[in-house]
Amino acid sequence: MGTTQLLFWFLSILAILGAILVVTSKNPVHSVLWLIVVFVAISGHYILLDAQFLAIVNLIVYAGAIMVLFLFVFMLMNLNADTEPQKNRWLKIAGVVTGGALLLVLVAALKKADLKAQMAEMGKGDIGLIHNLGLVLFKDYVVPFEISSVLFLSAMVGVVVIGKKAEEDKTTLGSQKYGG
Amino acid sequence: MWTGIMVPLRQELMVTLILFLLLFIKVGASEYRTGTILRLVNILLLANLVLGFFPCPDATLFNGMFHTGRLIVLEKNILNLGTLIVSLLAYDWLKEHRQALEFYMLLLATLTGFFFMISSGNLLMFYLGLELSTIPLTALSGFDLEKKQSSEAALKFIISSAFSSALLLFGISLLYGATGSLGFDAIPRRLDGSAFQLFAFILLLSGFAFKISVVPFHLWTADVYEGSPVAVTAYLSVISKGAVFFIFIQALYTVFRPLAGNWNRMLILLSVLTMLTGNLFALRQNNLKRLLAFSSITQSGFILAGITGSSRAGDASVIYFILIYIFSNLGAFGVVSLISAQTGRENIDDYKGLYAANPLLSWVMAISLFSLAGIPPTAGFFGKFFLLMAGAGRGNYVFIGIAALNMVIALYYYLRVIKAIFMDSQPQPIGKLKIPLLPNIAFGLCVAGILVTGVMGWVYDYIYSLSIGF
Amino acid sequence: MGSSSLIVLFFAGVAFAAGGIAAARFFVKGTKNRQKGEAYECGIPTSGTPWNQFSIGYYLYALIFLIFDVELVFMYPWAVAVRRIGMPALVEIVIFLFILFMGFLYAHKKGALKWM
Repeated sequence: MGTTQLLFWFLSILAILGAILVVTSKNPVHSVLWLIVVFVAISGHYILLDAQFLAIVNLIVYAGAIMVLFLFVFMLMNLNADTEPQKNRWLKIAGVVTGGALLLVLVAALKKADLKAQMAEMGKGDIGLIHNLGLVLFKDYVVPFEISSVLFLSAMVGVVVIGKKAEEDKTTLGSQKYGG
Repeated sequence: MWTGIMVPLRQELMVTLILFLLLFIKVGASEYRTGTILRLVNILLLANLVLGFFPCPDATLFNGMFHTGRLIVLEKNILNLGTLIVSLLAYDWLKEHRQALEFYMLLLATLTGFFFMISSGNLLMFYLGLELSTIPLTALSGFDLEKKQSSEAALKFIISSAFSSALLLFGISLLYGATGSLGFDAIPRRLDGSAFQLFAFILLLSGFAFKISVVPFHLWTADVYEGSPVAVTAYLSVISKGAVFFIFIQALYTVFRPLAGNWNRMLILLSVLTMLTGNLFALRQNNLKRLLAFSSITQSGFILAGITGSSRAGDASVIYFILIYIFSNLGAFGVVSLISAQTGRENIDDYKGLYAANPLLSWVMAISLFSLAGIPPTAGFFGKFFLLMAGAGRGNYVFIGIAALNMVIALYYYLRVIKAIFMDSQPQPIGKLKIPLLPNIAFGLCVAGILVTGVMGWVYDYIYSLSIGF
Repeated sequence: MGSSSLIVLFFAGVAFAAGGIAAARFFVKGTKNRQKGEAYECGIPTSGTPWNQFSIGYYLYALIFLIFDVELVFMYPWAVAVRRIGMPALVEIVIFLFILFMGFLYAHKKGALKWM
């Protein structure tokens, strides 16, 4: 087993373990911390696939910014470990059974699949490098790139519309309570 | 070179242009009058609609990312028409709203998303278009800023659409792994119906099913429809659903054609489930918005029945039905919107004796509901008729029989509303309501559409001549 | 393979940090009492829980930050590729930045960036 393979198995086990702990942790903050472990492991996978840029972006955006956002949401909604509703035991069993069935189907489908014949083209293994990514992004994928800016814009407008009104409510509430 | 890009892209560019114009006004102007802006936007939307009717060459741009043709332009025109009607209907509500400009900015962003989605020739592009339409729609469904129910609707909508997007993305990535391409032209060549490809396809199908609220994935529909502002509900149930159906049928008939034998059976099952569940739940609703939500689930089932025909008639009948569905559903939602805005009453019991004071609204509602139910003189009958004919083209007579039976069940709850309006009475009926000019125009458009589209045979013939053959 | 050395380096970094903490655990003779766990070891005793409801303002900031974060992510590949592609890439990024800058102006105009 070479280094790559060893790392692959290590990262995979880490990712799956982290993912299971995300779901099973009682405290939502712990879930978020485990989710960071999952993201780090997946970033490792990206590096193994020679997609260094994607790995770093995954760390910066997901493990960095989005996780902070998650934490803010917990603070905002005051999600304590105590307030988390207890789920029905039968619901849990049903979830495990359906999820397991889906996994079984996926494994069976993958086992029968002949992926080598028509695998996604990997080229020389340098498509994930930032230079090639830039060339592809700004030549072939120009329209999606520009559309994504409109997407960001609309997301920003939506956020401000919904968030700002709540803040106005907050300030009036605050002025009543604390006199300004 | 520029006209080669501008002409095929004109509808997208126009919508984006209006969006940015509003943004400039918002950022630049220190003061503006909402009423003036609303009228300006409606005129611009009309211009946008007219712009779509100019001839457009078939084009494939940006390495196959974007493609357009007469059928796609027609679909965009239908969406434009629907958006214009929604906009006219929403005038009354928006006039009093502090953030009317934002409403249009978000609405037009979703429309741009739908346009790019319908025109996409690549799964990545398709996904971006879908997200561009979903995210602003979420903000829109939370647009009744003072109502808790509206926020609840927004939250439910974002969670369910994030879930469906995740399924869709998983399906797309598996499909990419299985076929090695994201392009709509390259994928069908490499589809061979292996178990792995079918698994990827089912994930994609589930993502689609969420968006068009097909039965196992419909649970978000009623709550979101009830909580959102009525104009947004109308938009969701008609434009959003129509756009996703357009790309859905296009994907099934072109990209996934090699899997036709498989998806045909799946769709028949989903269609039966959708029609039955939608109908059975609609029977027990008292809130009119919820009733229309479940009725729209049922209509999705009927559209699926048309798609299973997998023939040229199937494509034509679906597009034709969506055109009619826009008129009928918007007519019904328009009346609900007007009454809800002026009196705040939304239950069927509140509509008892509506005819006495508001004959015009009552007739608009009645004609729309007749059309939704599919009663002969209205266009809805022809729409359903063509759908079922297309579905019967494959010889599934049992299935078509079940669909026809469902039409009869649906008749019951539509007629219940009509009975409440025309025959029942109550101690405090809704008084005489003022109908402003713009909603009046919208009602006129809807009623004319319902009465005329069915009778004029050339509409269907024209759509048929453009449809995708099988 | 070059990338696996990168990942080994990454784990070496993690091990280095974790090793330091573990070594400290091992060597330092720690005292354990209630006061050690307090946020402030001296001064007024803290009261209540740190689990307070935050203002939505933080969230608004974080979300707008996230949008610009993602925007900047697009700039890296652009910066590397712009020389090869030339003028079109410049136009593309200017349009992209302009649209997002409009969004920024909008948020500014609405006072979303103003701390209460």
